[in-house]
Amino acid sequence: MKKQIFIVPFLFFILILLAFFYLLMTERNPSELPSNLLNKNVPKFEANSLIKNEKFISSEEFGNEIVLVNFFATWCKPCLEEHSYIKRFSSEKKIRIIGINYKDNKKATINWLNKLGNPYSDIPIDKDGRIAIEWGVYGIPETFLINSKGVIKYKHIGPVTEKIYKKINILVEKIE
Amino acid sequence: MVPYIGNLALWLSLFFATSQFFISKKNNLKLIKISVNGLLISSLVSFFILMYSHIISDFSLLNVFQNSHTTKPMLYKISGMWGNHEGSMLLWILVLTIFNYFIFKFCKKNNSKFVLKTLETQAFISIGFILFTIITSNPFEKIIPVPENGLGFNPILQDPALAIHPPLLYIGYVGLSAAFSIGVATLSLNSYEKIPWYSYMKPFVITAWTFLTIGIALGSIWAYYELGWGGWWFWDPVENASFMPWLLATALLHTLIIVERKKSLQTWALLLSILAFLLSVIGTFLVRSGILTSVHTFALDPSRGIYILLFTAVLGIYALMLFWKKSEKFFDNNYFAFFSKEGSILLNNVLMVVVCATVFLGTIYPLLIEALTNNKISVGEPFYNSTVIPIITPAILVMGFGPLLSWTKEDKLKIFKKIFPSILFTGITTTFIFLFYQSYSAVGILGIILAFWIISNNLFMIFKKNRNYSTSMIISHLGVGLLILGITGSSVWQKEKITRMQIEDQTKIEKYTIFLEKIDEIKGTNYVALQGNFLVYDEDKNVITRLKPQNRFYPITNNFTTEASIHTNLLRDLYVVLGEGNLKDGWVVKFYYNPLVIWIWIGALVIFFGGIISISKNLKKLRILN
Repeated sequence: MKKQIFIVPFLFFILILLAFFYLLMTERNPSELPSNLLNKNVPKFEANSLIKNEKFISSEEFGNEIVLVNFFATWCKPCLEEHSYIKRFSSEKKIRIIGINYKDNKKATINWLNKLGNPYSDIPIDKDGRIAIEWGVYGIPETFLINSKGVIKYKHIGPVTEKIYKKINILVEKIE
Repeated sequence: MVPYIGNLALWLSLFFATSQFFISKKNNLKLIKISVNGLLISSLVSFFILMYSHIISDFSLLNVFQNSHTTKPMLYKISGMWGNHEGSMLLWILVLTIFNYFIFKFCKKNNSKFVLKTLETQAFISIGFILFTIITSNPFEKIIPVPENGLGFNPILQDPALAIHPPLLYIGYVGLSAAFSIGVATLSLNSYEKIPWYSYMKPFVITAWTFLTIGIALGSIWAYYELGWGGWWFWDPVENASFMPWLLATALLHTLIIVERKKSLQTWALLLSILAFLLSVIGTFLVRSGILTSVHTFALDPSRGIYILLFTAVLGIYALMLFWKKSEKFFDNNYFAFFSKEGSILLNNVLMVVVCATVFLGTIYPLLIEALTNNKISVGEPFYNSTVIPIITPAILVMGFGPLLSWTKEDKLKIFKKIFPSILFTGITTTFIFLFYQSYSAVGILGIILAFWIISNNLFMIFKKNRNYSTSMIISHLGVGLLILGITGSSVWQKEKITRMQIEDQTKIEKYTIFLEKIDEIKGTNYVALQGNFLVYDEDKNVITRLKPQNRFYPITNNFTTEASIHTNLLRDLYVVLGEGNLKDGWVVKFYYNPLVIWIWIGALVIFFGGIISISKNLKKLRILN
């Protein structure tokens, strides 16, 4: 009779394991916060561009094609980690990417991009973090997917990983 | 060149761990000695080579590049080595192999089978962690081309308490691995009667418990001084991940006292030894897989999560299957009276495990809800306060008189005589305190009663003529009493004031008047800071102290941190944080009045000393036995 009771810890453990495996496997992201901007038009803003001599005017840039918006900075370590994926969006998937340079140093950013490669078609400068506030940025890096009508369809907080890279690509195919 | 040696040493550790695993199945002490020593030396080499690379700022290593900078102070170059995921794995492996070495030291002819079985499990654990490091988080990964300078180290981690927090905590976790291995060895051997396995397990459990205690306390000290939130415990998932094994270790070490004395509850102790380490590994999984977010989360990498989870699964399934199949022979039917020493320990045990289960539920509940319903919920302080306090209160009451009870059976009248002085003492002290401070709150009164209940019982025990009480127990329990005093004071009577101040403004908190004299700009080694100068006056207009909180900016990582400034005495902390602001609009300033905080750290330190005494006592006992 006693023996049966000793299986209880084992069963509990299996249950907990299953829960953890389920958590790992589901397309769940702890850094996914519900965004009020989802399915709304991109916020309007103007900013100086890091790489072009003309001003970046948001109303002219969005609404023609699918665009990724990536908030980044050279001082942000996860941005370095995700950079290879951002590059793959531009080189492999030919998606237009706008990189918003958040509270950063101009010279450092240019160096950083020279060293790591520049996937961005334009880089508006967000010196004081105003643009980030407009976009409801919670902490960089953050990546937004905007459809060809200029509507935000997806937002990811934190570095883009393999999983997120695939997810965004699927989303891109869907909205195309 | 040097990093290659480090990498080679890491692979050598894997080799020696594997050879230890296979050789321990055979009774060849010479070969096993080579493996154990080889494992220790190779992990020492890889550890110190990574440390060396951090010290000389060798940015050809990705790990150094990502976490260091030439301007970083030396202390943090050293501690920065284990302040990141990859480096911390090397520390983990090193501690593991040091424990492995000590287990081997207990090996004699008459117990070699038992020790070898323990070493086999220990080797398996080592293989798991070394493979994990090599496959998913090798700190010796190179970066080409070599960058000129590093990315810098998160400045919030640049704190002396935090520099030594990981090593102490790891001694705790890994100490539990030794208990796990001993548990598994005991279950899988048939000749268990001849070996007093509990006497082998006890020193390791006490070591683990002692260092977990001080490790957790240092983490709290860091949170208190560095985060600038005025508190020291936030029920953060990572804090919980260290608190849960601590609770089980507490239960286990008390159970081992009964096992040693009465030979009963062996099954229970074996189960606890397995669960305590499993919980440590699950904690590692929670922190490093990125399935939850917290201040501690290391870089998110899903492959790490899967690996640790698989490893946990193998360890847990093996150990718990073994428990299921083999533990029956350790079971006994010696029920005992509630009013006895063992009865009180058992009750405490159950309560500790219930607290642990509650904390576990609170930690993973939000994850489960999110996975099942897609809703975000958070489980915070209110949940833990309303669940943990009612469970832990009876545990503390019992803790007060439990040690006074005799083994087997106690006369109820006699025990009342024994505890009467402390009931009186507790009553008088509590009444006195509340007459004086006149700040009544149910939880506050309860906390003060519990604290003095523990303190007085243990103080009276010191002065008892018949001294069968263990000194280490009395010291540790006294520490717990002081700890409760600090926890109660700082959580029940904390006062907070947030205000905007301009230069030469003044404000009041409790009986203190605080005057903002000026704000200076100062320059540190790798930061610049704004420093407020606050004068604190008491009721009689005497200056008590000058508080200088800083708002630091680290240009390399582009982070801001706040350095709280704190005036401490035995009764209260005055805690000031300088927030954002400018000359025109003034600065946001936060003040906290935190009663009795210092007693939390004093309590933890006293517990630690009690633990240290107990470690040496139990090691001596084991040596005699050997």
